[in-house]
Amino acid sequence: MASTGIRIGGLGGQGVILSGIILGKAASIFDGKNATLIQAFGPEARGSACSAQVTIADAPVAYPYVQNPDVLVVMSSDAYTQFIPTLKADGLLLYEEELVTPKDLPPGVKAYGIPATRIAEELGRRLVLNIVMVGFFAGVTGVVSLVAAEKALLSSVPKGTESLNLNAFRRGYEHGRSLVGAA
Amino acid sequence: MEFENFPQTEPLRDGRSVIVREMTISDESRMVEFFQGLPLEDRLFLRNDVSQPEVVHHFVRDTEDQVLNLVAELDGKIVASATLERGLYGWTRHVGEVRLVVARPWQRCGLAKVLLRHLVRAAPTAGIEIIKGQVAGGKVGAQKALEAMGFRKEATLRRHVKDVAGRKRDLLILTNDVSHIWEKMEALNADFSPTQGE
Repeated sequence: MASTGIRIGGLGGQGVILSGIILGKAASIFDGKNATLIQAFGPEARGSACSAQVTIADAPVAYPYVQNPDVLVVMSSDAYTQFIPTLKADGLLLYEEELVTPKDLPPGVKAYGIPATRIAEELGRRLVLNIVMVGFFAGVTGVVSLVAAEKALLSSVPKGTESLNLNAFRRGYEHGRSLVGAA
Repeated sequence: MEFENFPQTEPLRDGRSVIVREMTISDESRMVEFFQGLPLEDRLFLRNDVSQPEVVHHFVRDTEDQVLNLVAELDGKIVASATLERGLYGWTRHVGEVRLVVARPWQRCGLAKVLLRHLVRAAPTAGIEIIKGQVAGGKVGAQKALEAMGFRKEATLRRHVKDVAGRKRDLLILTNDVSHIWEKMEALNADFSPTQGE
């Protein structure tokens, strides 16, 4: 039975938890899989380290904590430094390439970067950086389907923001697909 | 800027439906026909004399301040025009304005609301925080359509409109603050600890 442990790390205010919620919702509600979410915070609401642990599995998830993720998504340099030692030896690193510079990567780790902040700013709202990353995750990994991820996104964001959020998601998704050489 | 995908087929309250799409330069002759078909009373409420082909010529080309310019059509004939405009510079560049004209046979069937809904959705994407609409006093249908889309009366300018019979009417300014939409998104992104503040 397939199971994927995901850790998303960044700064408070970047929408780390919302990213985890959307991925979990996509998998569990719209893809018919099972998912759990654990969230961790620093002492401040904004600007401190923040992470989400998401497990997506075909079978029910008995243990929700992700100690050694298969996929690590990082949106800040601190999150990279803190969590890269926990990534599995053959794991996958997805990073915001203008905020994170990967170094000393374990040899078996595959890494893909995306200028998510720049894409979000091009779309008019830096706030949707996390949604670009969610799209990027879906595009690179295929752990959640495109249809499920879009449905989860649209059911999670405020009314009136759907169009821009969907554009942000699709930009991230397409960037991810292009990097892994998908048609 | 990327908005919703157009064209879209929109069913109306009375069972008819129209195609809503973005206006293009090739619509010039259809727009002239549409505007010239409006009764004088309706045209008086527009900012420019759009019965003049040269005015329409510029309207379809000088689109720098137009965020989104939609038309509703059926069988190749334009039956409504809806525009979201904004100032490009200055201290009110976060404010947009909607302009909406619906041909008489297509009024009172929900078409105005359909078009306004598209414009309101597009506004936050374009960075517009407040949308403004102007309605002549007594135009109850237009006022209701705006109010149904979240607009509220902001000001009344007394006797600012002179109708076709020379009667002066009030000009109502209605606004819709759409900035709260992104405040909600910001709150969702806040990554608050659920126990914080307890």
